[in-house]
Amino acid sequence: MKPELRRILFSLAVLLWAAALLYFYGSGRIAKYLVADFRPIALFGGLGLAVLGTFNLLTARQTASCGHDHAGGEEHDHEGGDMNPLFSLILMVAPVGLSMLWTIDEFSQATLARKGLYDGGPSREESKFFATMLPPLTLEEIEKGHRRTSDGYLEFNLMELFFATGDRELQGLINGLAIETEGRIVAEKVNNPNGTRMRLYRVFMTCCAADSRAIPIILEFGKEPPLLPENGWVTVAGKMSFPEENGTLQPLLQVDRATVAEEPIEDKFLRN
Amino acid sequence: MSSDAQQDFAYAFLSILFEGAPFILLGTIISGFIDIYLPAGTMDRFLPKNRNLAILAAGLMGAVFPVCECAVVPVIRRLVSKGLPVSYAITYMLAAPIVNPITAISTWKAFQGQGPWMMTGGRVLLGYLVAVGVGLVIARFSMRSILRKSLVDKIDKESLTPKAEETCSGCCGHHHDHDHDHDHDHDHTHDHPKEDGRLVAAMRSAQKDFVDVGVYFTIGVAITALFNTGIAPGAVWLDGLAGNTFIAPAALMALAFILSLCSTSDAFIAATLAKFTWGAKLAFLTFGPMFDVKLLFLYQSVLRKKFIIYLGVALFVVIWLVSIAAQKWLIAS
Repeated sequence: MKPELRRILFSLAVLLWAAALLYFYGSGRIAKYLVADFRPIALFGGLGLAVLGTFNLLTARQTASCGHDHAGGEEHDHEGGDMNPLFSLILMVAPVGLSMLWTIDEFSQATLARKGLYDGGPSREESKFFATMLPPLTLEEIEKGHRRTSDGYLEFNLMELFFATGDRELQGLINGLAIETEGRIVAEKVNNPNGTRMRLYRVFMTCCAADSRAIPIILEFGKEPPLLPENGWVTVAGKMSFPEENGTLQPLLQVDRATVAEEPIEDKFLRN
Repeated sequence: MSSDAQQDFAYAFLSILFEGAPFILLGTIISGFIDIYLPAGTMDRFLPKNRNLAILAAGLMGAVFPVCECAVVPVIRRLVSKGLPVSYAITYMLAAPIVNPITAISTWKAFQGQGPWMMTGGRVLLGYLVAVGVGLVIARFSMRSILRKSLVDKIDKESLTPKAEETCSGCCGHHHDHDHDHDHDHDHTHDHPKEDGRLVAAMRSAQKDFVDVGVYFTIGVAITALFNTGIAPGAVWLDGLAGNTFIAPAALMALAFILSLCSTSDAFIAATLAKFTWGAKLAFLTFGPMFDVKLLFLYQSVLRKKFIIYLGVALFVVIWLVSIAAQKWLIAS
C-alpha cells in the first residue's frame, strides 16, 4: 500500500475515535460512561486525536525529513506498521462504530443483576470506605444537610440509605426516619413471597461504566405495588428500616407514596 | 449476540475505551516525538553505566515521568528502537504504572480508613522490587529472545543506518561537542532537515504508533468488556474464595487480569473488595498494572508471544508468593 494512502486511512481511523470522544462529550452522554474527573481528560483526548488525525490527513502527501541519514539504500521506515494497514483500520473502526450503534448508555437488567442489583446490603468495610466520601452525619447534620419535603419527609440520596446498612452509627440515625428518595424501580425477585415488594436502585460508578455497580434498596408496599413503569425513575417516600433477612441486614423502605419522576442529569453519588 | 448483550458489550467497551484512549494518545505523542527528536542512545546517557544500577534507576523513572500502563507501552517500544537496552525498558514498563505519584495518590485516597500508608507503600515497594527483579533476570537474555522480530529487524536497520549526529556533527541540532572522523564510506546525502518537516515526521510517527497500539488496545478492551458484562457468576465464586490465604490473592490477580483496570484508578475497586485480605488486595494492585488482558495484546506490539507468556507466569507466581508472605508475616505480626 502506498504510504500516502496508508496515512489517509490511519488518519480516518484516528478521526473516528476523535469524533466518538468529542460527540459523547459534546452531547453530554459522556456522563453515563465516565465519572466527572475523567470527562475533561476524554475531551482533551478527543481534541488531541482530532489534531493528530487532521494534521496527518492534511500533510499526507507532504515529504518529511526525520533528521536521520537515509543514504546507503537502506529502507528507513518510520511508518511501517505491524499489521496490514487495512486490517488495522478495520480493527480500529469496526468495534467502535458498532458499539456506537448498539449502545443505549446503560446496562441491561441481566447485567445489572450481575453487578449487585439483587445483592444484600453492603459490608461494614464497604460502608466505612464510602462513609469517607459522604458528609459527616449526626441527627442535627442530617436535618441540616437534607431538605424536608412539604409533607415532612427528609430527602435522601439512595446511596446514603444503602451504605447506612453496613454502618451501625449511620443506621441508628436513619432507622425509623421518614425519608424521600429517588431511583429506578424494578420488580423484586428475591424474598418477595406476597408480591408486595419492589426494588429501587441507582448505579454507582467509580471511574467508568465498566466498573459500575447497582446500589439497591427494597421497597415494601404492604399490598400489591402500584403500576409504575418498569425500570423508570420514581420518587418514593416512607419509613426507613434495616431488618435482618436471610442472615444479612437489608435497607428497606416502608412506602407511603410512590410517583413517577424525571430522570436526573446523571447518577450522581451525592444527592441531586 | 442478543440485543441486550450487544447493548451491554457496547456500553462497557466504550466506557473503557473513552477512559484509556487519551492516555494512549499521550504515550504515542511522546513516542512519536522521541522517534524524531531524541537521538539514539540518549536514554542510556541518563542512566548509570553499571547495568545493575541502571536497572535500579529505570525502576524509579516513573516517579519523574509518570505514565499508566497503556501509555508506557508505546513509549518503551520507541525507546527500545532508539537503543535503550531491553532490560532497562521492561523494568521501566513494569514499574512506571505503579511507581508514580498519580497512582500513589489514588491508592492513598482510595484506602482511607483501611491503612492507606501501608497499602500505598506496600504497592509501590512491591511494584518496584518485582520490576527490578524482572529487569535483572532478563538482562541475561538476548534481545532477540524477548523482542518481536519486526522490532529487532528495525533496531538492526537503525544500527546499520548512520545516524545524523554520527555523520554530520553540527548539522542536526544534537551532539556538537564530539570529534570524529568524517571519512565515511557511504553516501553522505543528509540535508539539514527543516523544522516543519520534522514536525510532520513526528506527527506521522505518533499516528502510526497510535494505530499500532490502538489495535491491540481495542482487542483487549473488547475481551475485557465481554468478561465484564458476564463476570458476576465468577464474582459469587470469588467471594467464596476470599477467606482462603493461598487462593484469595490468586483469585484477585485473575480478576485484575480480566478487568484490565487503569493503574491510576484500580485502587478504588480494590478498596471495595471488602471480604478479601490486605495481601490479596496488594496482589490485585501489583499484578493488574503489570499484566492484564489489554496489556496481553499491547505487549504483542513489542514482545515475543513466548516471552509474554513466560513474563505473565513469572509475575503471577512471584507476586502471589510475596503477597501471601506479606499477609502471613507482615500483617499478622
